[in-house]
Amino acid sequence: MEDIVCILNNISKTFGENVFACKNVNLKLNCGEVIGLVGENGAGKSTVVKCLYGLHSPSSGSIVIADKEVLFKSPKDSEQHGVFFIPQELDLFPELTIIENLFIGKKIPRNWIGNFDWKVLEKQADEIFNNLGVSFDFYMPLKLLSAANAKLVEIARALINEAKIIIMDEPTAALTQKEVKKIFEIINNLKKKKVSFIYISHRLDEIFEIADSITVLRDGELIISDHKNKFTKSKLVQYMVGRPLDQIFYRTKNKIGKKILEVKHLSYENNFKEVNLELKKGEIVGLAGLIGAGRSELAQTIFGLRKYSSGEIYINEKKININSVNDAIKFGIAYLPEERRSQGLILPFTIIWNMTLSSIKNFTSFGYINNHEEIKFVKKSSEKFTIKGAKISSPVSQLSGGNQQKVLVAKTIATKPKIIILDEPTRGVDVGAKAEIYKIIDDLANQGNAILLISSELNEVISMSDRIYVMHEGKIKGEFQKNEFNAEKIASVSAGII
Amino acid sequence: MKKKYNNLLIKFFSRPETPVLVFLFFLIFIISIFTSNFLTVANLKGILEQVVVISIIALAVNQVIYGAEIDISTGSLLAVCAFVYGLVAMETGGSWIALLASLLCGFIFGLFNGFLSTYGKVPSIIVTLGMLFILRGGLLLSNPGTVLNLIEPMRFFGMGNIFGLPVSIYCLIIVIIFYHFLSFNTLWGRNIIAIGGNPRAAVNIGLPINKVRMLSFVGSGTMCGFAAAVYLGQAGQIQATAATGFELKVIAAVVLGGTSIAGGRGSNFSPIVGALLVGVILNALTLNRIPPYYELFVLGLLILIAVSFDGFRRKLLEKDV
Repeated sequence: MEDIVCILNNISKTFGENVFACKNVNLKLNCGEVIGLVGENGAGKSTVVKCLYGLHSPSSGSIVIADKEVLFKSPKDSEQHGVFFIPQELDLFPELTIIENLFIGKKIPRNWIGNFDWKVLEKQADEIFNNLGVSFDFYMPLKLLSAANAKLVEIARALINEAKIIIMDEPTAALTQKEVKKIFEIINNLKKKKVSFIYISHRLDEIFEIADSITVLRDGELIISDHKNKFTKSKLVQYMVGRPLDQIFYRTKNKIGKKILEVKHLSYENNFKEVNLELKKGEIVGLAGLIGAGRSELAQTIFGLRKYSSGEIYINEKKININSVNDAIKFGIAYLPEERRSQGLILPFTIIWNMTLSSIKNFTSFGYINNHEEIKFVKKSSEKFTIKGAKISSPVSQLSGGNQQKVLVAKTIATKPKIIILDEPTRGVDVGAKAEIYKIIDDLANQGNAILLISSELNEVISMSDRIYVMHEGKIKGEFQKNEFNAEKIASVSAGII
Repeated sequence: MKKKYNNLLIKFFSRPETPVLVFLFFLIFIISIFTSNFLTVANLKGILEQVVVISIIALAVNQVIYGAEIDISTGSLLAVCAFVYGLVAMETGGSWIALLASLLCGFIFGLFNGFLSTYGKVPSIIVTLGMLFILRGGLLLSNPGTVLNLIEPMRFFGMGNIFGLPVSIYCLIIVIIFYHFLSFNTLWGRNIIAIGGNPRAAVNIGLPINKVRMLSFVGSGTMCGFAAAVYLGQAGQIQATAATGFELKVIAAVVLGGTSIAGGRGSNFSPIVGALLVGVILNALTLNRIPPYYELFVLGLLILIAVSFDGFRRKLLEKDV
């Protein structure tokens, strides 16, 4: 028993009546082990982890840590038992300095005058950072750090509090390849020091690289938990989805019509310069590139959210001026923003109100909204897009991420656009919902719409697109026709190597 | 069957005004035990009449708060509009033209508030704070010591009766229906909640944010004008210090009723329930001959209790949902 640091016994968590977020989950975490926790969105990964971290109290089941059954009422309890959680987004205080963040929530020693004795803390912090193999100016505000370094500070904070179990949720989402390597190095070092990890990620490559064993959750239940050598990638996806991999990407052949949108020498401040691109009817054009290459800015400029400093936009060979979002909508352009919660949806609103947010004028005569027509439309759309999980009259925040995204897609195309710009339409969405969204995109193209697909997932761009532009540092650096698609080449162009 | 019942219950309890409503009935129950003449038709009618003015303005300010802005100029604006109403009524001898003048006055100042707060890019709390002082100051400057006294035909909106019910109650009902209609059946009504709920998303779909917000201020100004007719009709006389501190009672009614001060969340019944709560308490104080200076003290206590109760309720709901 000595080797096992933590056991979850039949953990279940219900929300309301008969809605299981997780059901009878059993998990054993060995000393110095990394468990890769995978599953689609809404599979119950975060619920399980939150039960362990004390953010939720499990409805039934027990948690055993170091041979003792524990009951965590809040994260403070769990941190006292050495369980730490590092969420996907920064969970520290950007305005405070690094050292203040490190010792937040801890009793800070005082010197003889009664001031905080930073000297003692500095020594402790130094030791921890040395172990991690990094060094920082402790008195720098945290907000000046890069995402990767902020992650390191969070790990360091856990270590200072003698963490035995560190739970990481999508730790590499905002990191570059090199930074990921650094984090992995640190995790491997800590493993030797008997720290155990639960590592949640959508990136299966990383799971295979860092995890010792893999646990798959689906619909709140534990599907399989085994050593990683027992899995292959496609097998793992099958466990996650319950269906084979090749169905996930979906593209039917379709006819490409004449040019509908053309952008010439478009520039916006320092974000992008001299961009030329064109979209044809019925075509899906991928826009690949790294984060910060100016793709979202380009999309927002075409949609009228930013005023371009120079260049021309043509629709159906006619030069037009786009000065506002309403102009863009009038010309048949629609834009799906990348952050659905902060930029797209209005969370306290019902599904109905969210879905008709952009198209409400269609149900309105002389300022009077025809609620009946509106609900009819929403019912039809939610059937078409298989939106599941809540009634259409309940707040959209009750839906899972994938279903929220589908609501957003429905909202975006409700204006009946001809040109649709999708900015990361499948970000943070589970595999099943992804497949459904791909099908929706494919259908939209088949109906003769032109689609600009911005995505950081190379695989997604390559399987969905008819043509691909690659952006690097605000410029279009390459254009690939369908028969020239080559993942390596596209990746090197976006990285600026070619 | 049981499930349906449960759903209804959850729906009822997740409405923003529910806790205050429950509290209100509880309070009425308690008060009626201790106060013999509280639960009489005449007294209840009296309470209703008393809360008409505050409710009308609170309904309009509720919309401003939906849009994540605030209007604290209503106390002074109410007084100014009442003066306008009174002066015009004394010229014309009737109520209707005076009402029009009062509405127009509220409209103009509301427009000014709204324009500065949106297109002018000044935070609305500052704009309306300035307006609060300017209007009150202007009133004191131009009418120091003046007391207007109105006679019966000019007090139609406060004293009149139609089919045995006071005109003021009809006024309130009209305003309730009006705002309910706005929220559920008009673009503007929906847009204002959307803008308060997520301004970024509103920008991303091209909502005319400034225009929508400005109109909410125009609404609160105009409703001050409407409420002024009732206010002066009920009181019969007015001086320059009238309705001082009224703006905070309006905000109290809105917040008590459960509308989120951060915008985007709330209900059109919130201000009514909140105003009724205020009305019931003030009435109970009077009936029990508790000196009027307890009024503010009790009101403040009430806000704190209501808001903490709301936090407690949310905790319960979170556990369940």
